Amino acid sequence: MGVLKRKPSVFHKKTVEEDDVEDVMGEESESEPESESESELESEEEGDVKLAEPSKTSIYNREGLLEQLREISWPENVEWIHKLTIDIDRDQEVDVNDDLARELSFYNQALEGTRQAFEKLQSMNLPFLRPSDYYAEMVKTDAHMVKVKGRLLVEKKRIEESEERRKAREAKKIAKEVQAQKLKERAKQKKEDFESVKKWRKQRQQSGFAGGDGDDDMSLAFEEGKGFERSKGKRPGVAPGDRSGGMARKGSFKGKKGSEKKRNNRDHRDSKFGFGGKKGMKKQNTADTTDDLRGFNKGDFSGNKKRKRF
Amino acid sequence: MGKKRKHSESVPEPKKIVESAPERPKRTLLGWKEKVEEDRETSSPIFRNKEKVLVTCSRRIIYRYRHLMLNVVSLLPHCKKDNKVESKESKGATLNELVELKNCNSCLFFECRKQKDLYLWMAKSPNGPSVKFLVNAVHTMEELKLTGNHLKGSRPLLTFSSNFDKDPHWKLLKEIITQIFGTPKDHRKAKPFHDHVFVFSIVDDHIWFRNYQISVPHNEIDKVDRGGLDKMTLVEVGPRFCLNPIKIFGGSFGGPTLYENPFYVSPNQIRALEKRKKAGKYAKKVKAKTRRKMHEQSNQLEPDEFADLWKE
Repeated sequence: MGVLKRKPSVFHKKTVEEDDVEDVMGEESESEPESESESELESEEEGDVKLAEPSKTSIYNREGLLEQLREISWPENVEWIHKLTIDIDRDQEVDVNDDLARELSFYNQALEGTRQAFEKLQSMNLPFLRPSDYYAEMVKTDAHMVKVKGRLLVEKKRIEESEERRKAREAKKIAKEVQAQKLKERAKQKKEDFESVKKWRKQRQQSGFAGGDGDDDMSLAFEEGKGFERSKGKRPGVAPGDRSGGMARKGSFKGKKGSEKKRNNRDHRDSKFGFGGKKGMKKQNTADTTDDLRGFNKGDFSGNKKRKRF
Repeated sequence: MGKKRKHSESVPEPKKIVESAPERPKRTLLGWKEKVEEDRETSSPIFRNKEKVLVTCSRRIIYRYRHLMLNVVSLLPHCKKDNKVESKESKGATLNELVELKNCNSCLFFECRKQKDLYLWMAKSPNGPSVKFLVNAVHTMEELKLTGNHLKGSRPLLTFSSNFDKDPHWKLLKEIITQIFGTPKDHRKAKPFHDHVFVFSIVDDHIWFRNYQISVPHNEIDKVDRGGLDKMTLVEVGPRFCLNPIKIFGGSFGGPTLYENPFYVSPNQIRALEKRKKAGKYAKKVKAKTRRKMHEQSNQLEPDEFADLWKE
């Protein structure tokens, strides 16, 4: 079956080629060299699509062209200032389809040309740059330039925003890593502590619970001083909603009455709902509350009327 | 009615220029060195560029191309814009008449066909050559990504890529472009500074046009040192377009063909080819089917001897 499958594709290729050939033939028979300005574009057809080799019927009248050039061109000794033309050599061929390279080559051509022209103008002692106080009509109106500026600003803002977002994302990533590192370190620390304790115990057992030697061993185990040190950033054992900062748990409030159970209950509630501290200025008047007279004389009118009726 | 009046006004203008223009150099602006100027002019026969360009377009031009034309008009202070020309009249004779009527000596004619394709004619009027281009890749000045701006009517610097001097037809095109796009010196609408530069570059046998603003960032503009020129930057103003020369004629809007682009394929042709390709799909399928049938008939499979082996 493989053979059978392959064959149609070959045929297909062939047919395409045939079609093209037919097309070309058709066009060439149509395209006769026309001398005058054509009204119909369809008639001046030749060759295949752009990439084809040059058509043979095309006209190239070298003498005629040169003749015309001589006829229309300005006198030879025309000063440069009349023409303002600069020819620029391009270093290498540019790929047309590479937009960036193409535009860059145009830009370079313009820049180089401007430099040369300015040097010439400078040598002629002519002014060529607009003084800053020279105001005149511009090619684009101010309204249009405002639009352009607005767009630029919007673009800038968008770029900044995306940059910020990117930064935030990265910061988050880093923070995560740092956090993981910290956890790991903490775990390690814990492990070390346990181990040091174990070691100390073992040594103590070996030495037969000798009180005198014990001190030395202890100093060995914690000699770095890290042993039970805690990080300063966060106080341990404080619940997220605890407004007393863990003080309630510690039970450092003195002079509290009640049994142990009640006491615990109270402490828990205090830690949950708060105890002591500022009352948040809740009970003080402000300008607004002073001006607010809604609370006064509520429903008093009826009472007055009643009184009058009596 | 206003149009008619314009016609009558436009006639005396060239004389005015001729009379008033020689006076210009005496109106010194920022200390021109008059004496040097005068010496030079007296030494050579006085050359005066009296170029005037008629810019017009065909009827039923689409807005994009119309805007392009208006951009060109705003770039050329020495041009005259005229009404749209009826497409029937866009034959050579009427256009020539129009150019003569307007006292111009060259013409830019934007011709839009089928609401799609833009052709640009550049013609030197009485008996000069004329060129027909196909215009591609049009970007108008209104596009917001082109952020530059420059004085209206300041004379542009024209930069050409060096491959304009390679062939006679490019040379001729260069001369025509120089004359049409260069603003005449001391034109009454021209401003005495140079703050933009045109780029004409041949890439891939097309002429690419760009317009850049020159911005030099320093405070004392009168004293341009080398440092200032090094810091110079360009900002694109627009418009952008790409010209594909089709033909060069000996006369204006007609005459013997001097040059014909051998690589040119008209957009109509390209579209037709595409269509034909699409249309050929079904025919191809049918062809392939019959071919397959023929092939199967011509070399048939041998009857399989083991086909009935397991049927029993």
